Amino acid sequence: MADDSQRNFRSVYYEKVGFRGVEEKKSLEILLKDDRLDIEKLCTFSQRFPLPSMYRILVWKVLLGIIPPHHESHALVMKYRKEQYWDIHHALRVIRFINDSTPQVDVFLRMHQLESGKLPRNVAFPLEPEDEVFLAIAKAMEEMVEDPIECYWLVSCFVNQLNSKHKDSLQQLPKILEQYLNIEDNRLLMHLKACAAMSKLPYDLWFKKCFAGCLPESSLQRVWDKVISGSCKILVFVAVEILLTFKMKIIALNSAEKITQFLENIPQDNTDAIVSKAVDLWRTHCGTPAHSV
Amino acid sequence: MSQGHVAEIYLVHLHASVYSLFHRLYGMYPCNFVSFLRSHYSMKENLETFEEVVKPMMEHVRIHPELVTGSKDHELDPRRWKRLETHDVVIECAKISLDPAEASYEDGYYSVSRKLCTSLKHHQTDPSASSYIDTQSSYGTSTPYSTPRLTLSQMPGQLPQILSPQSTRLSTEPQQVTIWSPSAVCGMTTPPTSPGVVPSESSQSASQPYSKAFGTSGTCCSLELGLPGGKGTPLGTPATSPPPPCTSDDFVHVSLPSAAATPPKKEDKPDSGRPLLYRQQNVINSDKSLDIPSSKSSVTLSDLPEFLGGLSFEDSAEKDREEDAISKEISEITTDAEHMVPRGGFDSPFYRTNESLSGSQKKTHSAASSVQGHSQTSEPLTSLDKPGPEGARETPKQTFTPIDKPCGGPGESPAGNREGTSGEPSILTPSPCKVPAQRRVVFGSGQPPLYEHLFEVALPKTAYLFVGKKTEELLKKAKGTQDEDCMSSTSPVEVLDRLIQQGADAHTKELNKLSLPSKSADWTHFGGSPPSDEIHTLRNQLLLLHNQLLYERFKRQQHALRNRRLLRKVIKATALEEHNAAMKDQLKLQEKEIQALKLSLQKEQARYHQFQEEHDNIVAQLHSQIRQLQHDREEFYNQSQELQTKLEDCRNMIADLRLELKKANNKVCHTELLLSQVSQKLSNSESVQQQMEFLNRQLLVLGEVNELYLEQLQHKHTDTTKEVEMLHAAFRKELEKAKSCVQQQSQKLDASQKRIAELESQLAKKDHLFLEQKKYLEDVKIQARGQLQAVESRYKAQKRITQAFELEILDLFGRLEKSSLLKKLEDDKTEAAEAAEESRLDCGNEDTAGHSEETMGRNGETKPPSTRGSSSSKGGSSSELSTPEKPQNQRLSSRWDTSVLLEPSSTVPLTVGSLPSSKSFLGMKARELFRNKSESQCDEEGVTINRLSDALKTELCKDPSMESKAPPSPDNLSPKLQESSVGQLHIMDYNETHHDHS
Repeated sequence: MADDSQRNFRSVYYEKVGFRGVEEKKSLEILLKDDRLDIEKLCTFSQRFPLPSMYRILVWKVLLGIIPPHHESHALVMKYRKEQYWDIHHALRVIRFINDSTPQVDVFLRMHQLESGKLPRNVAFPLEPEDEVFLAIAKAMEEMVEDPIECYWLVSCFVNQLNSKHKDSLQQLPKILEQYLNIEDNRLLMHLKACAAMSKLPYDLWFKKCFAGCLPESSLQRVWDKVISGSCKILVFVAVEILLTFKMKIIALNSAEKITQFLENIPQDNTDAIVSKAVDLWRTHCGTPAHSV
Repeated sequence: MSQGHVAEIYLVHLHASVYSLFHRLYGMYPCNFVSFLRSHYSMKENLETFEEVVKPMMEHVRIHPELVTGSKDHELDPRRWKRLETHDVVIECAKISLDPAEASYEDGYYSVSRKLCTSLKHHQTDPSASSYIDTQSSYGTSTPYSTPRLTLSQMPGQLPQILSPQSTRLSTEPQQVTIWSPSAVCGMTTPPTSPGVVPSESSQSASQPYSKAFGTSGTCCSLELGLPGGKGTPLGTPATSPPPPCTSDDFVHVSLPSAAATPPKKEDKPDSGRPLLYRQQNVINSDKSLDIPSSKSSVTLSDLPEFLGGLSFEDSAEKDREEDAISKEISEITTDAEHMVPRGGFDSPFYRTNESLSGSQKKTHSAASSVQGHSQTSEPLTSLDKPGPEGARETPKQTFTPIDKPCGGPGESPAGNREGTSGEPSILTPSPCKVPAQRRVVFGSGQPPLYEHLFEVALPKTAYLFVGKKTEELLKKAKGTQDEDCMSSTSPVEVLDRLIQQGADAHTKELNKLSLPSKSADWTHFGGSPPSDEIHTLRNQLLLLHNQLLYERFKRQQHALRNRRLLRKVIKATALEEHNAAMKDQLKLQEKEIQALKLSLQKEQARYHQFQEEHDNIVAQLHSQIRQLQHDREEFYNQSQELQTKLEDCRNMIADLRLELKKANNKVCHTELLLSQVSQKLSNSESVQQQMEFLNRQLLVLGEVNELYLEQLQHKHTDTTKEVEMLHAAFRKELEKAKSCVQQQSQKLDASQKRIAELESQLAKKDHLFLEQKKYLEDVKIQARGQLQAVESRYKAQKRITQAFELEILDLFGRLEKSSLLKKLEDDKTEAAEAAEESRLDCGNEDTAGHSEETMGRNGETKPPSTRGSSSSKGGSSSELSTPEKPQNQRLSSRWDTSVLLEPSSTVPLTVGSLPSSKSFLGMKARELFRNKSESQCDEEGVTINRLSDALKTELCKDPSMESKAPPSPDNLSPKLQESSVGQLHIMDYNETHHDHS
């Protein structure tokens, strides 16, 4: 890290002992104090450490480009964003796509559609799969963020990033999943293959929706930290970890449908542990992102 | 002392008791007593008794010191006696007494004399010293009174004088006599050599001593007064004591005490050199001796002859039997310890007898000193006095005396003497009278003159006169009545003593001689008085004696107590002495130690001195070294100072030199600069020289030429020199100008170079600033880009919004037209054409005015969009789209325009035909608004528009039907729908493609 001198000398031992994120908050604050925010550093930071919840939204906003790196222009840009939001909102109201009773998620969807020029000609038009993805993500994000404007921007930018940045890599993810599952647990993979469930795994839920609706928001945040900071491989490891965690149950299930159904509705008890393990697994397989800094 | 009431035989006892009472009273309360005496006896009627009784008693008393110092009140203070015990009181009284039987010389009274004697002892010559000791011992032995004490005194040697007052007194007196006697001073010492012989003789034979003693007394001049008294008594006593002069030996011994008491006093007189006291006493004695006899004689004359003898025989005979036995036992003990330790002070009688023998024997050996002589002469004298009358009582007295030896002895003698003298003067007269006469003759003639000058020195004249008178009187008396009153000085106690002794002697003698039955006869024979009376008196006398005995016993007890105390003192003293000795030993040891220590101290001191000397030497050496070193140091210091000053000088020099160097350097620099300048100048000058040379050459050439020309001129004109000079001047000036120019240029060069440097630095700064600015600019750019992105996105959003709106509007228009088309089909063609035209115009206007919203609000889908083309065209022109999209819109609009252009021919009729729609409120209004225009247009364009409108109308009418999914469609709908959809898509595509392009 750049600010090693300002960090607590105990931080090394914290990590050795197993405490994580003790010093991260401070270093993150230092990072956020820079007038011109270094987006690269923030990316590395969020890849390497879990983000403190109080700075998560801000970091996300910066990383997703909702607000520029300059502190000065934050207010102005946010003002624009707000106006834009309300403009779109207003337009949608005018063309009667939304009204007061419309759920926020739908509003976000319509807004996104409008912004991306994909607004259907009629409200009654059936939703496309990408709209479903958006809705799932928006639903998850709505839980995380209070302000609708911020929420909208985060959702739309997140989705845009997924669609633009990770579009190619997302398509590779199932293969990678198979590859790592082979490394981690061959038997499970064999079982899945035997059940022919490998192709029927909920890839859309996992990789397109980024586990929105699969994991609870508290765990989801941590996964999204990595995704937003530019690593979509974490999704694979989360999936692998889910499979490993529920290995016994999956093995118990024989049919691909049942497996898929189970995986689409996994119990949400120990998702935190799953995510932690997934992060560890991701670190072990992809190396510590700190090296890249 | 009423003689009438009391039997005369008691008088002696009474006298003795009165005497002792007198002593006590005088001793204890002198002032009161004397004042009483004075008051009582000042009366004339008492004067006689005073003369008779009191005065003789006063003879035995000194002047009490209390009479001088004390007062009556002080005497009565009981505290005086509280501290003292009874025997102390007795001793106090005894101190006052002069009576040897009573007196005590313990403390102050003898001290002076004793000191003198001790001091003088050493001075005296050997024989005299020895004689003194002898005298003391002889006295102790010879004088009966001193014996008890003397025995003690002889043991410890010197102590007797301290312890025993009597003995000291006795012993000191003689010493004083020897020391102070004027005779000694005058060299008149006449030691009576004879006395040594006399006692022995006297002891052997009673008759011989008389003569011898007198002889001796005659030789010694001191006994004049005493002798008469002494003579008196013997004279008297025979009278009183009828007993026959038998056993002279014994008698002598017995008489010794009484005689011994007197002689010392009598000796005093002749030795007039003695202290005043004694002299006074003696004077008094002499007075008494002169006076008393007469008075006493009266007393004694009356009764004495009768009962003296009876007394002695009756009582003593009976009582003293028993006591005789006791006394004998004691005498046995004492006789054994004769010479060695005659302890029994009380047994003095026996002791005396023995001692007198031994003493006399001794005196035969030594008997050198005059004192001895005196004393020994006195003894024989006394013995001379008493042999006759007292011989009978000798033995009883021996036994009796132990009990009341001191008091009885002296007290008795005077009385006896008086009685003797009064009673039987005839007996005494024969022998003794002659001797005194002889003696006095000698005395009067020879001796006194020798002393007279001493008297004058030592005594007041009165005393001397008095003494002289007395001596004369005595001489006279001696002639007349020799024996008259020698015994006056004897104390009543002595008298009593003597009486008892005599009585006892007589008694024993008689009893021995007589058989028992004849005793009764004896009584009658002796006394002559009837036996009953005799017995009565004797009993009374016995009682008195018993009382006396008790009194003496008591006294003895007191003395025993005192002796014990004194013994304790002695023991203490010895202990103290021993302690002293021990202390002395210790002292010696310590002294030795001290000496040893002193020696060691000396050694140490010597060593210390050595060390000190060494130390001093070392110190001195060190001092010298230090001095040397200091000297060196000072030298060094001076040198260093010099060097420092030199150094400073050098420094100054160096500084100066440096300054000079700097100056020189400056000069050098300056010169260098100058040099460079000069060199420059030099080069310039060289060049100039070259030029000069060149010019010179030219000049020369020109000169030559000039010469040539001159020659030529000389031919013509001779004067060209002026021109040459002018030219020279001109050249010089040019040269100077060139030089200054060169200088200026060089200066300019310097300046420009400096300028260049400055500018370069500024350039660097500016570059730096430029970089900073660039950075800042980039920063700002990025910031702006961020903002711009936001804005752009917003713009995009807006675009999308407008697109959406457009879509919506188009949709609405489509519907509107569709509905209007449907209605139009029902209407007339002409009407329809007109209406269409109108509606087209209306819609275009309405669209701009924003009526589309109202129409949408009313009935979005039910209303068919009638004038789509126009609206779109007008929307395109009047829409809020931003400028960049204008060309696209323009193109679009142009497209639409083409269609519109095509339309008018057909659509005008349509619009006209769409009048039915104008039946509605909007349509009516629109028509009213745009009537004029449309009319004018209609007028202008006419038929062509109608055609076009028709064609368009058909196309457009099919679109809304398709969009609204109106299932019931006419036959020609499908191709139109396709077209419209294609057109819409086309528009969309175009838009998108255009967007992509942009």
